[in-house]
Parts: sequence; C-alpha cells; structure tokens
Amino acid sequence: MDTIIQQLFNAAQLGAVYALIALGYSMVYGIIRLINFAHGDIFMLGGFIGLLLTTRFGWMPFFLLLPLAMLLTALVGVTIERVAYRRLRNAQRMSVVITTLGVGIFLENFVRLTVGPETRQIPARLPSAKVVWLQQHLGAFVTWDKLLIILISLALMAILWLVVNRTLIGTAMRAVADNKDAVPLMGVNLNLVIAVTFAIGSALAAAGGIFYGQAYSIDPYMGIDLGWKAFIAAVIGGIGSIEGAVLGSFLLAGVEVITVAYLSSNLKNGIAFGLLILLLLVWPWGIMGKPTLKKV
Amino acid sequence: MSTQPQPEPTTPPPESGLPKVRFWMVCALILALALPLQLSVDAGLFPDVLNPYYLHLLTIIGMNIILVASLNLLNGYLGEFALGHAGFMAVGAYTAALLATKVLPGAAALPPVIGTIGILVVSLGGAMLASAGVGYLIGLVTFKTVGDYLAIITLGFNMIIVNAIQNIEFVGGPRGFTGIPKNTNFVAVAVCALLTIAVLRNLIQSSFGRVWVSIRENAIAAELMGVSIARAKNWAFTIAAAFAGLAGGLWAQNQQFITPRSFDYIKTTEILVMLYLGGMASLSGSILGVVAYTLLMELLRNLLSAFAPQLAEWRMLISPLILIIIMLTRQTGLLGNREWRWLRPRPGA
Repeated sequence: MDTIIQQLFNAAQLGAVYALIALGYSMVYGIIRLINFAHGDIFMLGGFIGLLLTTRFGWMPFFLLLPLAMLLTALVGVTIERVAYRRLRNAQRMSVVITTLGVGIFLENFVRLTVGPETRQIPARLPSAKVVWLQQHLGAFVTWDKLLIILISLALMAILWLVVNRTLIGTAMRAVADNKDAVPLMGVNLNLVIAVTFAIGSALAAAGGIFYGQAYSIDPYMGIDLGWKAFIAAVIGGIGSIEGAVLGSFLLAGVEVITVAYLSSNLKNGIAFGLLILLLLVWPWGIMGKPTLKKV
Repeated sequence: MSTQPQPEPTTPPPESGLPKVRFWMVCALILALALPLQLSVDAGLFPDVLNPYYLHLLTIIGMNIILVASLNLLNGYLGEFALGHAGFMAVGAYTAALLATKVLPGAAALPPVIGTIGILVVSLGGAMLASAGVGYLIGLVTFKTVGDYLAIITLGFNMIIVNAIQNIEFVGGPRGFTGIPKNTNFVAVAVCALLTIAVLRNLIQSSFGRVWVSIRENAIAAELMGVSIARAKNWAFTIAAAFAGLAGGLWAQNQQFITPRSFDYIKTTEILVMLYLGGMASLSGSILGVVAYTLLMELLRNLLSAFAPQLAEWRMLISPLILIIIMLTRQTGLLGNREWRWLRPRPGA
C-alpha cells in the first residue's frame, strides 16, 4: 500500500513536469494550429537558465529565481516567434513545422557548445526533508521538494486557467483559437495575442525545466525525449485543450511509472507510444479535443 | 498542401519537341561510370583525383536519394506529413544484417563477385519485403487519420520500432549489431538509386499513382470519383516503406555496424530536411536536395577544420540556421515542384 502511494507521488511529480510542457504545445496548437517542435528545447533552455541563475546568483531565493528564469525564457520564446515563425504565419503549414525543427536543433547545439554536453543537476534549492505528516498517516516516504514541485505546478496551472478564462487577454486567446481571421477585424492585435501565448507557454516550460533539474538532471538533449513525451500527453488529452493537456500528462506519467515499477524501464518509451496509438484509434481527437468537421 | 498549381507533366511546353537528354541516357551514363570508378578506386589508381573519400560521399548521396525520394512519395505526392521514415529504414537495415550474417554466411564459399551479388540481392530483397510488411501494417492502422495526427502516429511507430529493437537481445539490443560484411559498394548503391527513381517516376505518372496526387489536391473530390482513399494510402505506405528498407539494407552493409539509436527521430529529421531543401513533389528536387545538403555539410566541415579548427564544432549550429533561412526565404525548396526535363515522361507516352 505504502509503495503504491509513493509511486503515485512519483507519477504526480513527473506528470506535473509533463503538464507544464504539454500546456505550451497545446496552447500554441490551439491558437495557430502549429506543432511547435522547438518547445521541448525551450523546456531544456529553461532548465539551463535556471542552472545559470542558481550557480551565478547563489543568494537568490527559489521564489525569486523561478519567476526570473520563467521571464527570461519567455523572452527567448517570444523572440523566436518574432524572428522565425511570424513571417511564415500564412505560408504552407509544413514550412513552419520544419522551421520549428530547425530552431529546436539550433537550441540543442547552442547549449551543447556553450555549456557542454554533460548531464548536470541544478543545485537543490528546495528542502529535501521528508514530509512527516504523510509518513505518519499514509506510511509513504515523500520529500518536501517533491511535494512542493507538485503543488507549485498545480498552482501555475490554476493561474493559467484563470488567465485564459477570466481575463481580457485570455478571452482574446480563445477568440483567436476559434477564428483567427475574424478576430483582427474586431480590433484585436493578433500579433500581441500570439506573442503572449508563446510567452506563457515558454514560461511554463521553463518552470518545468527547473523542476526537472531539481528532481532529476538536465542535459542539452533532454528536450527531445521529454518534449515528445509531453507532446504525446497533449495529444492524448486532446491537443488545443488545457484541461486535456493536464489530464493526458498525469495519465502518461502514471502509465510510465507503473511500467518502470512493475515491468521494465526499457519498455517505457515503447509502451508510452503504444498507448498513444491505441488511444488515438479509439478517440481520434484525444480525450477532450474537439472533432474537426469535414466541410465539402 | 496545394498552394501552387501542379505543372501538368504530360503536356510538353509547345516550343520543345522531345527532351534532348532522356532518362535512360542518364541512367546508362551513371552506370557506365560507376563500375570503372569503383574498380579504379579499389585498385588505388590516381590516388590524388579518385579519392576513396569522394566515392564514400557519392555512396552516401545515393543511399540518401533512395530515402528522400521514397519519403517524397508520402509527404510530397500523397500530401501527408509522415514522420517515421527512419523506422522503416531500421526494419530494412536489421533484416538485411540478419540475412547477411546469420542466414547466408555459406554464400561466401561462392566465387567472390557472384557470392557478394547473391547475398546483396537476397538480403536487400528480404529487407524490402520486411519493411513493406511493416509499412502495410502502419498504413492499415493510420488510414483513418490525417494531418497532424498522422504525423504523430507515424512518429510513434518509429519510436516503437526503435524501442522494440533495443529490447531484442538476439540482434544486439541497445549495443547494436556488429560484424556485418561489407557487401555494399558504390555500384550497388547507384543501381539501387536509379532503380528507385525509375520505379517512382513511372509509378507517379501512371493512373495508379495519379490517385495519390488527386487525394492530396482534394480528398473528397477524389473519393467522389471512386478512389478508395484507404487503399491508395496503404499502397503508398507499403511502397515508400519498401524503398526505405532498401536504403536501410544498403546502409547496414556499408557501415557494417548499426545501432537502434541511429534510426531515431533525428535521422527522420535529417531526411525531412533534405526533402524540404530540394522541394516537395519533385523527384529532381529530392536528388538536388540530397546532393546540396550532403555537399554543404562536408564543405562546411572541411572549411572550418582548415581555417578555424577551434570553430569546427560550430558547424552543428550552421546547418539548422541554413534550414531556417531556407524556410524563411524560399519555402518551396530549391526546385519547388518542378522536374528536370529528363525526368519527365516522354510526351504522348
């Protein structure tokens, strides 16, 4: 029983990181129908910016460091959108997708060349003592940093939900998702809405990168593997849907943790992708996605 | 996908009669050059001009042409965004490696040239059959999906194939498959590449292949004209997979060492980059894209190591930058969907 609860916490931690990345994929796809293949590498970059801040500015408390890294990564995300994607907004869709692939490879190699290819760990900034209450009542060994990562991630997702559903810019984002052509006619600045979407997505991915670097380790190529996993999670949940991305992430993390715990860690990726294909055959638009109608 | 009108290939421009250079002439020329080239490099003649390195480059180019042209069938002509080409290549490479090392070692007793050719034909045939089978299965599963979801499912299959091979201890698991005999040389690659281009060129111009373009241009209209979309897609996946398997089989017997990781999505991306660099729905574009990309990468490597060795690693930054710049300035690739004249079919044929 206690190991199951412990595994649940492991799954929740991994799922929280997946969700922070998956939200960026899902929001960008929802708004401009673009699979941003560079997003996994934005996540990686966020982790490395976090590493840089913790090593250079050791005095900085975590709750200052996290927003600062998120802000810096958001700036990078917006810059990439401005330089590489905006000009292609009305071009063939595949040109933009290829551009995102190029940006992703560029970021990977840039970090590899400037920081080095080694696997690193972000110095721990969260308390690593175990949560006594949980041990007494559930018998599970859970550390504070794990719990904090899950809680902060959930808080960030809640803030995102509020921004999208309760603010003016969120309304504009949903309007663009609904009809990209009509919204500028209503006097909404389309470029601003898209830039804000990229900023939010990149900031969330940066938080994911820092959490991942605290819980596990970071390297320049981690964006490929984790980015794809988070992308799968977004698709399972129904790409374009915020709730779907979160649901899919926790689902995927649960399946992965169970596979590693009870089968074999070698089968992790195969089972994740097998699940994806099975689910897509049953629900072609993901669990919470909206079916696209074929118009003649 | 259909932003530009497809040039009508069967009606020649009025001012031109028969194309001066014909497809069979190009094939004959390349074949006539390939054998003496290979023999003189093997014999070490003219070491200054006929460097084995150049022949190696040509071999790589030939194998990449097979890969890119077969992916063009799916991404260019059928108009889907398939992201799993390296997976088919992996199936072919491992099948050929198994056949060449475990099943056919007895063929080494045959006279040298005949034995090698025999092993090559059997192993490459097996590789094509195996990956065609996998392609058929993937086509069956994906026929309902289009667009982004098809991209994701094909990518998923690529990852599953790589993951499955990693878990098969019999073929070396994650450590890779070693000790494959070197049966592939430039002549074999040239023959296979020309065969691929010939088959694809004729298929695409046939009524059988035009169904693919009709699906790309308007799937609903094609369906109303009686086209079975599921069947046509399934054929496209099977054929494209078979040729990717052929390239994989050649590659395994050229490198002599393969690992599952060399067939992951980075390889797929590289194939995609060459395809988009050259231009979609154009076999000429596939050839040009492969040649341009391969030569550019080698040129950058040589230039940087000659003039600024400390910057040699930065080559890895330049290649994605080139890709981005091409996409920003010339989205249709170098050739768009035009064909060189010698690749077009004979007028009235």
